[in-house]
Amino acid sequence: MAEYVGIDLGTTLSGLAYLKPDGNPEIVPNADGERLTPSVVFFDSHEDVKLVGSAARDGGDPHRTVYQIKRHMDDPEHFVDIDKRKWTPAEISALILSKLKRECSRIIGDINDVVITVPANFNELARKNTVAAADMAGLKVRRLVNEPTAAAVFYAHSQAVKGRILVFDLGGGTLDVTILEVDNDNYRILTSEGARHLGGSNFDEMLLDIYAEQYRKQVNAELYNDERQRRRALQAAEDAKKMLSKLQRVNDTIGNDTNGIARIDLTREVFEKTVSRLLTRAMMLVEQALAGVNMEPKNIDHVVLVGGSTRIPKVKVGLEKLFGKAPKSCGNVDEAVALGAALFAKKSARVREVCNASYGTLAMVLNSETGEEKVQNSVVIPKNTPIPCSKTQIYMTSEPDEKVIEVDITQGEDSDPRYVDIIGRISLEVPPNRPAGCEIAVTYSYDENQRVRALVVDKQSGRSQEVAVAYKGAGILSEEELKKRGTALRQLRIE
Amino acid sequence: MFRKVFKSLSKALTTKEEEVLAAPTPPSPPAKAPSGKGKSQADDKAKAKAADPAPAPKKAEPVVVAQRTPEELCEITPKMSKDEIKAKLAFLYRRFNRATSSLDPKLRAEADIMLDAVVAIREKVFGPM
Repeated sequence: MAEYVGIDLGTTLSGLAYLKPDGNPEIVPNADGERLTPSVVFFDSHEDVKLVGSAARDGGDPHRTVYQIKRHMDDPEHFVDIDKRKWTPAEISALILSKLKRECSRIIGDINDVVITVPANFNELARKNTVAAADMAGLKVRRLVNEPTAAAVFYAHSQAVKGRILVFDLGGGTLDVTILEVDNDNYRILTSEGARHLGGSNFDEMLLDIYAEQYRKQVNAELYNDERQRRRALQAAEDAKKMLSKLQRVNDTIGNDTNGIARIDLTREVFEKTVSRLLTRAMMLVEQALAGVNMEPKNIDHVVLVGGSTRIPKVKVGLEKLFGKAPKSCGNVDEAVALGAALFAKKSARVREVCNASYGTLAMVLNSETGEEKVQNSVVIPKNTPIPCSKTQIYMTSEPDEKVIEVDITQGEDSDPRYVDIIGRISLEVPPNRPAGCEIAVTYSYDENQRVRALVVDKQSGRSQEVAVAYKGAGILSEEELKKRGTALRQLRIE
Repeated sequence: MFRKVFKSLSKALTTKEEEVLAAPTPPSPPAKAPSGKGKSQADDKAKAKAADPAPAPKKAEPVVVAQRTPEELCEITPKMSKDEIKAKLAFLYRRFNRATSSLDPKLRAEADIMLDAVVAIREKVFGPM
């Protein structure tokens, strides 16, 4: 049995690594002989089988194929309808995890406890869904760890570095930026920032537009008219993008059965100009991360590249320009996260992480000088607080004879309530006939898996109410349904 | 789109808290931040206020963006200095980058538009990456 196992459940690729007896991590290939498994699921209509990986990505009917489900892990209403059966994002992810578990265990023995990586900006719901996916796949989550944290652990382990490290993790679907300090095998995360929908697939979509435009000019017709054709063109665009990381110019031919073929001519310059805004957005995230910990580029000792999209030369150029030093890669940028997750499984006690979002409540904030009052997001646990942690704020009832205290649990640091999510609510019955101004203690606890619990205590009566955040929506399974579907899922044929 | 807030709680402001709230991290916060320097906590204790209906904070209303320029969306004026623009863009970037993973789909959609506007101005004023 493999004791320390890490899984990178990626947007486009997933991988599993374990810690060898010599203390070094190793990627475990799947049964198809691949070190990384495309995070794609195909539901066959002829046989009762779920294909996961390259076979699913390359051959199936796109209407029965699920790509990049990770992008929907934070959407409570998202589901995939196949043959009138609704699959939640957690279930689709469970199919990917199941393939990894089943096939990799043939090589390294039983796999039970695992560390799973998630983007640094994954919210509470997405983390909860990730744990649910693992549960359905028959895996026990030892810890969730942020992807850049895992990559940094791997980098520090393999390069034996110390100092302040900024990890720039540009993957298939998301960008994460993490700043941490490493000293004598101790890791102190200072901050993590993430950008959703900023990754390799966004570059591919932009390149696809160029393909479509050139095709239209030459053939006077559309490059694709259905999803299958679009998928093929998108794959061609992705291939071209990869070549443009090595070459200045790429020529390609592309077409469809109806309208014939066209010759595509692409240069790196055009590609870089096309994706310029995404890259600027990426650099702004780096600036945001630095500002969040009051640092400047000169305070960073090492800039580390993680994720396939960091192969794009312009990314390296941009970072070098900002930091005045060349960013470094930790070996294979696609595998660093999984390898780091396996290391993290053993070293987690040496890694001090921080809260990735602020948690608070809505409260009427009174300006005693001007008399102005308004509802604001009042933060109880600020972002970047070391975890696990527990913090309390005292509030007061606003009117006499309140019978029920209702506390909204918010996620987000913005003081404007319009820009934070209300992820839960606690109702606490209190004794009647009391004046306004009774003190209420609101305590939030944040665990190592970045899950939040809230406790509300009426200080006068001692009454209290505690909740873990629960979500509802078409894409959320109840505990009962989760168990039921997990049992069914473990019986499925998954290849 | 309005969401009703059950405003049962009033925050007791200490001087320190008020200073934090008033800190000018964003160049133009959504509304005036409270300030109450020199007041004791007892002085600052929130007074009772009719809780229902609360002055409900609305979720971000969909902004009519089709006809608005990036400058209009980001409230960038010609009189602003480069430093002010940079600070404003950083504030908006932080706000709307976070909003891209909001549970509110309308806010998510608005966030994408706003981020495009922020980046467009950034490139226009400070040049591309």
